[in-house]
Amino acid sequence: MSEGRIYSGDEVPGDREIACDVCVIGSGAGGSVLADQLVSRGLSVVMLEEGGYHTRSEFDLTESNAFPNLYQELGNRTTDDLSISILQGRSVGGGTTVNWCSSFRTPKRILDHWRDVHGVEGLSEEALRPHWEAIERRLHIAEWPEDRINRNNRVLWDGCGKLGYSRGLIRRNVNNCANLGYCGMGCPIDAKQSMLVTIIPDAVEKGLTVYANASARRLQLQGRRVASVEVEILDPKTNTSSGKRLTIRPKATAVSCGALNSPALLLRSGLNGRGRVGKRTFLHPVVIMAAEFDEPVEAFFGAPQSVHSHHFVERGPGKIGFFIEVPPIHPMLAATTFTGFGLPFEQMVTRLPYLQACIAITVDGLLPGEEGGTVGLRGGEDRRLKIDYPLGEPHWEAFREACKEMAKIQFAAGARQVASLHFEPVVMRSEAEIGKLDRAPWEKLRVRVVTAHQMGGCAMGRDPERSVVDSRLRYHDLDNLFVVDGSVFPTSLGVNPQETIYGISRWGAQHVAAAV
Amino acid sequence: MASRSQPDSRRTFLKKGLLGGFVLSIGGAGFLLARSTRQVALPGQPLAVLDPTEYSVLQAIAGRMIPQRAGFPTVEQVGVALNADGILLRADPYARKEVKQLLKLFENALAGFVFGGRLRPFTQLAPEDQDAVLREWQNSRLEIRRTGFQALRTLAMAAYFGSTLAWAASGYPGPPEGFHQPDAPVWRGGGAKRPEGNGVYHPELSRE
Repeated sequence: MSEGRIYSGDEVPGDREIACDVCVIGSGAGGSVLADQLVSRGLSVVMLEEGGYHTRSEFDLTESNAFPNLYQELGNRTTDDLSISILQGRSVGGGTTVNWCSSFRTPKRILDHWRDVHGVEGLSEEALRPHWEAIERRLHIAEWPEDRINRNNRVLWDGCGKLGYSRGLIRRNVNNCANLGYCGMGCPIDAKQSMLVTIIPDAVEKGLTVYANASARRLQLQGRRVASVEVEILDPKTNTSSGKRLTIRPKATAVSCGALNSPALLLRSGLNGRGRVGKRTFLHPVVIMAAEFDEPVEAFFGAPQSVHSHHFVERGPGKIGFFIEVPPIHPMLAATTFTGFGLPFEQMVTRLPYLQACIAITVDGLLPGEEGGTVGLRGGEDRRLKIDYPLGEPHWEAFREACKEMAKIQFAAGARQVASLHFEPVVMRSEAEIGKLDRAPWEKLRVRVVTAHQMGGCAMGRDPERSVVDSRLRYHDLDNLFVVDGSVFPTSLGVNPQETIYGISRWGAQHVAAAV
Repeated sequence: MASRSQPDSRRTFLKKGLLGGFVLSIGGAGFLLARSTRQVALPGQPLAVLDPTEYSVLQAIAGRMIPQRAGFPTVEQVGVALNADGILLRADPYARKEVKQLLKLFENALAGFVFGGRLRPFTQLAPEDQDAVLREWQNSRLEIRRTGFQALRTLAMAAYFGSTLAWAASGYPGPPEGFHQPDAPVWRGGGAKRPEGNGVYHPELSRE
């Protein structure tokens, strides 16, 4: 097979029809691995990506360029009420171009839960292991050495050590990493082993055709089959319609747009999965604590995430667990994520090099009756997704306890002062003051809640009345439509999701190939 | 600029439920009062999204969010409202429209009267009263106003701290030099040789 190519929107001469074996919609962790597996089997594959083809030549390490080019809605995606900010990637490589490189295999208890509660079949550790091993080799996934962790992560490491909390070093998908700290803005030296520089080019060498700036608007159905994919080509400069259209005519189609966007494409196509599409959307909702130290932390430099604590990931029946990591702190993301305004806010900003932050990532979707959020459409010309995520008492309890634990860790590591991200920040000067958090308002839009992990919305399961795809990732009521990305998770994970998506995609490729 | 006589009936984030509808209708119907906005000098280049009133209101909000302080460039020097105009230009058209409505509502004296008993538009208030208005929105019992505050805060902060001019104020030294290569080759396949570094697989480097 001759070598494929990556086209940007401005290289598409005009309306075209393209026949192929498989159309993969989305170029993130799910779509890329799937496409590579399919071209390796000799199939002709067209991969579509709504975002642009941005490479290290453009990764100038500024937030003002990174967010518009590499994130959904310029980094401003949120739930409808703005109560949860959503960081989600959007470019060739999807989230893998901008994630912070944390790589975990899926916890066994999650796979067991999917099997026992959601009727998922065949997705065991044993089934996934060879796929994880292959991906780990290709992406150079390895534990980050303790002597290279930055001070921001060191606080979490030391604090957990002092308190006797379990802690671990994170495995990262990097090769010759220079420890810069700009993973979230696109790696300028291609050290991050994102899909952009590994599996997508591998697949292109084997014949994959990629269209960037190509927005799949609708799947056209014929009986129980997807007959074509209608694609709008966007102008790479303005991100608006160029007026050009592609029509892809595949034998099988894989929707790999990621959570939130995959359910939206199905809904636009009139596929609501008996009312289940968009339901059970999980976000790993995150709360944050900011600590100030006497010595510089410089949380803007160094591998952003290298330490984790899963000490509180299982908290007993009726409670939502959480795990703790740290985020990088760059000026724009910090200023928009932190709270307050005026002189007190500026005072905190002047201390930026001395700030450390911990994030608690709550593990949603595991409690009985916990349904998570919903993705819907607004209708008419308004293309924005309608994202709702109600936060209930178990979430607020977990947020409160997580913030208290993070403050303990930060004080144990020597913080001079710790502040919550309440709209009116709760400021504590010693561990004795942590009780202040019990009296703080734990309500939406009174404290910042964010997410960088989007999951669910096209849940996998046995029962078509309760799930969207079956255990072969096939849409229940159609013969040649698959969903291959994080949206098939029936719950959240309790770990950063990229490696789970790689594994499920590589495992699921056999089923997609069998439908051709 | 022509004003709508009818508030937009489409469901927006400002128009949730009965109360939201009421809030928005104040924003639409009170346009006459917005004439008294204290206009600030417009930038040398044309605005793409914001009208002069919206521009002035946003600049005033940003001026209280990030007030003058030693070591901090002013919002005028950074060009916060102009930067925000650029951000909005690339945003979804509906999001753009909602921000414009929100800015008008925020400025509107009738809304200010209903919410806080003030008769003057936001831009005409003394700085301490402006801070009080911002705090009222931030801590309002009405969720819809806290949503509005969050939208305006995010826009102002992104427009200020997205600028390299703001780096020094925070003690951020900027990114390390010598790593970004603007002239790095862009590989698209099509038979061209894949450049070194572009994830080329070196089996000898992988762990076994």
